[in-house]
Amino acid sequence: MKITHLLLILPFFFCGCIEIIDDITVHNDGTGSFKYSINLSSSKIKVNSILALDSLNGKKVPDMGAIVEKIQTFKNTLETQPGISNVKTEFNQVEFILKVSCDFTNVVALQNGIKETLVAISKEKNTEIYNSNWITWDGKTLSRLIPNAIAVKAKTYENSDMDLLKNGSYTSISRFDRAIDKTTNVNAKINPSKTATMLRVNTYDLRQNNHLIENTISLTPN
Amino acid sequence: MKQTLIVLFSFVWLHLNAQKSEQIIPQEAVTVFSINNISLLQKVTIDELIEYDFMDEIHQELFDGSTDQKSLKDAGIDFDQRLNIFYGKNLKYELSGFTFGLKNKTDLFKVFDDFDAMESPYKNVDVYGSFFNNLIIQNQAAILVRVEPLESHVLEVTDSIWYSRGNLSPYYADFENGEDNPDDNVMNQEIDMDILTKNYNEMRDSVQFILQNAYFKEVMEGLFVQRKSLYSQAPQFQEQLTHTTEGIFYMDNARNFEKTNNLWYLKTVLPSLYTDIQEIYEGNIIVGDLILKDHNIEFQITAKYGEKLGSIYQEMNDSKFDKNITKYIKEDQAAYFTYNINLRKAYDKAFEVIVPILSKEKNQDISMNVLFLKLANEFVNKDALFNTYKGSMFGTFNGIQKVKTKKIEFFYDEVTFEYGERTSEAEEDMPIFTLGFTTDRPDIPELVLSHLSQVTSKFEKKENYWIYNNAIFESAPVYLINKNGLLIVTNDKDLADNHSNGYGAESISKKAVKAIKNSGFMTAAADIKIAASKFPTDFLQPEQQRLIESLKGKSGNMKLTSSDTSSNQTNVSLVYSYEGQENSGKHLLDLLNTMYLLTK
Repeated sequence: MKITHLLLILPFFFCGCIEIIDDITVHNDGTGSFKYSINLSSSKIKVNSILALDSLNGKKVPDMGAIVEKIQTFKNTLETQPGISNVKTEFNQVEFILKVSCDFTNVVALQNGIKETLVAISKEKNTEIYNSNWITWDGKTLSRLIPNAIAVKAKTYENSDMDLLKNGSYTSISRFDRAIDKTTNVNAKINPSKTATMLRVNTYDLRQNNHLIENTISLTPN
Repeated sequence: MKQTLIVLFSFVWLHLNAQKSEQIIPQEAVTVFSINNISLLQKVTIDELIEYDFMDEIHQELFDGSTDQKSLKDAGIDFDQRLNIFYGKNLKYELSGFTFGLKNKTDLFKVFDDFDAMESPYKNVDVYGSFFNNLIIQNQAAILVRVEPLESHVLEVTDSIWYSRGNLSPYYADFENGEDNPDDNVMNQEIDMDILTKNYNEMRDSVQFILQNAYFKEVMEGLFVQRKSLYSQAPQFQEQLTHTTEGIFYMDNARNFEKTNNLWYLKTVLPSLYTDIQEIYEGNIIVGDLILKDHNIEFQITAKYGEKLGSIYQEMNDSKFDKNITKYIKEDQAAYFTYNINLRKAYDKAFEVIVPILSKEKNQDISMNVLFLKLANEFVNKDALFNTYKGSMFGTFNGIQKVKTKKIEFFYDEVTFEYGERTSEAEEDMPIFTLGFTTDRPDIPELVLSHLSQVTSKFEKKENYWIYNNAIFESAPVYLINKNGLLIVTNDKDLADNHSNGYGAESISKKAVKAIKNSGFMTAAADIKIAASKFPTDFLQPEQQRLIESLKGKSGNMKLTSSDTSSNQTNVSLVYSYEGQENSGKHLLDLLNTMYLLTK
């Protein structure tokens, strides 16, 4: 099993007991920081059981060393991308919590940096799925949707135990220097100071409908 | 009249002396499973056989997908002869394949159309080759064989040539040999070299090709020049073939020992010790029969061994069964096993047999180890040691249950949307198992556990048991029950909390207890229906999950029992019994097909 594929698909494989957070801060000048966390803590017995296997459904299962190495490669590659700096990764091997964070000069650099990194570390020949845009910023409006790669891969896996999926959550947080005027997604919450919005959906629903996380956030004028 | 007699005599002579498929199994084969086609086909027709999913794979492998609509049925195979599947491995190569009877050569090559005729240096033997396999026909028998040099051996020879030519490591600098570094990388590095000079991979392929041919020739010379086959060289295999059961099994464990790579050091550095130890394994052969009966599929297995190994096994299995353990096996248990050995006697016998062999060695390391063994034998309190673990043990599997675990979860500040981590309770599916063994010294485990509880808070003493918190993957607890002459390790909270003295009326019947007691050193049982209903299906693909669902509708029991161990053999019987209308041959193939679909 390709490790990149595993990292992308694992969140949905264990949707039953997973928390994913993406947290982006966009400053007025377009620079910002991005944090992405995957928490498989409540599925650790299952993850450990899978890691104990040589293969699953005919595909090779990487060992812990290979996963750690891949995360390091991801970090090293992302660091070299234009407009990306201060890349940090943290992987809790006992609780299976992965955290990635970085700073960016603009959201295009962030999007391209992640795209290029995934293409570089992926051994897959078809890298088309990494090409879609999932974030735009024009100085007053931020548009977000779920990256195509995750949506496509999530669809390829069928889990018979759909009840469990309903326990997982995907949280998308966007932070700004100035106040939010409005958001297109009615489920998005805005904090009292109106500088942050949070959208939380469950992973089962997200797997069924990846538009749930779509949100366009308009800010008040400078 | 005279002519009729001559014809009749000739026919009988030819029939008796005709080459049979089992007679052309290479002597290098270590394991053989031989199917008695006539007998099996009385229970399953060839039309039914070729319909199975696993036959698709066999057809694709054999016919390379180029002969659509053809099957084994059309391949001119003589189903009155045995079909013998074999495997063997030595330090340099492995071989696998099967031998079969041939009825119609023309039909055979209509199906086996990827094989090209090769020059045969052997009289009355036709040799054919495809990319991987070779097909050899002698009279009315054929062998399809694949001889492959071991990768480690190929690399060893390649490296030897590569470095002797003054080359540097082919995997220098950034090159790694692994999945992430395809062979193309290693190939590309040689781009600047002389076009006539082989790069590492090309050289490796050449070495592999040469070795493959050499070892194939070695196997063929053995069979058709020296006329040595497994049949002619192994009397016990020959004897097993006289059985009229649906299938027979043969494994030469002594040769498995001899060909073990791990013993290379022993063989080369300490040859006399190797010879002495090899002597212990002499005659260690495992043979078996597959018997199909009404509603029963049986495997009767006999492990044969020489006097020395037999004396250790005999002492080891001379043990009184502790009935106490059966209180912890439930009547509706999905699966369980019991194992009963006398470790004290086995230790004494092994000491008596093995230490004199080791003592003869002049090697300094071995000599020091022998001294340590002898001193330990004198100083260690063997009564305490072997009373702590007496030898009767059992294990049970009780399906999958939800267990309480700890998890880290994110929590959010509703004002800032900042988040942190906190520990909370969770529930996860976990296989529930129990393992227990008899002890006459409960004070010793108690001593260890008491000390551990002082060192770490993970060990806690409860009223009826000890609990080892977060023992499994740092999340789920393990319970240790040290009472009634048993030390039981389990992750079954219900057993620890409510049944620490056993299941009482819910435990297995007296009849089952008696059967366990009378069945030698080992028993095992599985209820297919219950096991299927408790089988974890999360990891399975949808079609595999459907198969498990269908198994839930099949009732059947699998029982493994063993005989008392004598000085030269132990018998083990595996019986699968089921209810239903289909015959046992079809039922067996159904099960094989299920296993194939589950594992493909």
